[in-house]
Amino acid sequence: MIEGLQVQRDASPETMRLLCSVAEQLKVPLTVIARQAELMSMDRRVGVVSYQGDVGKVMASISTQTDMALRLVDSYLLGLQLLDKQGALALEPVSVAATLTDTAHELHGLARQYGVALEVQVAGKYAPVMANARGLHAALLSLGYGLIEARAASAANDAVRRLSLAVHRTPYGIVAGLYGEFGALAPADWRRALQWYGRAPQAIPSLAAGSSAGLFIADALFSAMATAIRVGRFNKQTGLAATFQPSRQLQLV
Amino acid sequence: MSVILLVEPDVMLAQTYCKALQSAGHETHHATTAQAAIDAADEHTPDIIILELQLSAHNGVEFLYELRSYAEWQLTPVIIQSYTAPAALAAVAGTLTANLGVVAVLYKPRTSLQKLLSTVQEHAKGAA
Repeated sequence: MIEGLQVQRDASPETMRLLCSVAEQLKVPLTVIARQAELMSMDRRVGVVSYQGDVGKVMASISTQTDMALRLVDSYLLGLQLLDKQGALALEPVSVAATLTDTAHELHGLARQYGVALEVQVAGKYAPVMANARGLHAALLSLGYGLIEARAASAANDAVRRLSLAVHRTPYGIVAGLYGEFGALAPADWRRALQWYGRAPQAIPSLAAGSSAGLFIADALFSAMATAIRVGRFNKQTGLAATFQPSRQLQLV
Repeated sequence: MSVILLVEPDVMLAQTYCKALQSAGHETHHATTAQAAIDAADEHTPDIIILELQLSAHNGVEFLYELRSYAEWQLTPVIIQSYTAPAALAAVAGTLTANLGVVAVLYKPRTSLQKLLSTVQEHAKGAA
C-alpha cells in the first residue's frame, strides 16, 4: 500500500498519461480474451451451434492477444524505466533492417488474426544506426501493435489490408517505420495526438478507434533514443516512422 | 430471428460477437467504420444495430445522426456497446435515447455475451 502510494506520488504527469493510455488499450485484448473464452464455454454448455472445430483457432487467438498485451506492458515498463532515468537510452550501433525483420516475425501472428498482410521492405544495404537494440525492438513492436489494430479498424470490409515495415535512406538519415493506406493521417494529427493521449479515449481518431497506447509507448522509446515519431510517406503509403543517424563508429572498424 | 448490423472496429471481437449472435439464431453483418456501416445498412436492412462509439474517422454519434437522417432508418433500434464508460455518456444520455433512438447502452468490458444476447432479444423484432 505504501509502495503504491509512493509510486503514485512520484509519477510524473507524462508517466500518468502513458499509464492511462495503456490501461485504456489493455481493455481491448482483455475483452477479446474474456468474450472468446465465454463463447467457448457457452458452446459446451448450450450446444446450440458447435464450434468445436474452432477451438484451436480461438485458443491460438487468445494466446496471441495475451502475448501482445504482455509485450505492451513490457514495453510500457521499459518506457517507464527510461523516464525515471532522465529519459535517455545508451546508444550503440544497431542494424535497423535486422531489427525490422525480427519485429515483423513477432507481429506476424497478430497481423494474421486481424487480416493484415505484413510486408518487409528493406531495399539495399544499410549501415548500422545509432540506437539501442532493446529499445528499438520494443518501439517497433509497440508501433506495429498500434498500427495493425488501426489498419484493421479503418479498412473497408472487403479491402486488402497491407502494412509495410520499411527502412529507407533520406538526406536526414535512415528512416524506419510502418506504412499503410492511412490516407487521412496528417502531421497535424500526430502533433495533436501527442497532446491528447492519456486525456482522451481516442488520441488520434483519424487513424484508430482506441487509445493507441502502442504508438505513444513507441514514441517514448524513440525519444529516449534521441529521435521521434513523425508522419511520413514511403512508396505512396502513409505511416509513422523515426529517423536514425548512421553509425560512424563501425565504419572505422 | 433478427438481422443484426454490428459496427465494431476490432475484427477479432466482431467475429466472437457474430458467432454468439448466430448461435442464438440471428443473421449478422459486420462493419468496421461508420461509412461501411451506412453501406451495410443500405444493403441488408438490419432490424437492430449494435454500435461501438469509438470508431476511426467518423465516430458512432456521427453515424447515428447520418442513420437517422434517412426516413427508412428512423425506428431501427440501436444498442450502444462501447469502451466509453457509462459515466462519460451520462451527460448525453437524453440525446442518445430521445433524439437518436438508442434503446440500451452497454459498457463493453463488463458486458457478457449472455447480457448482449438478452438485450438484443429484448429489442428484437416482435419482442413482447
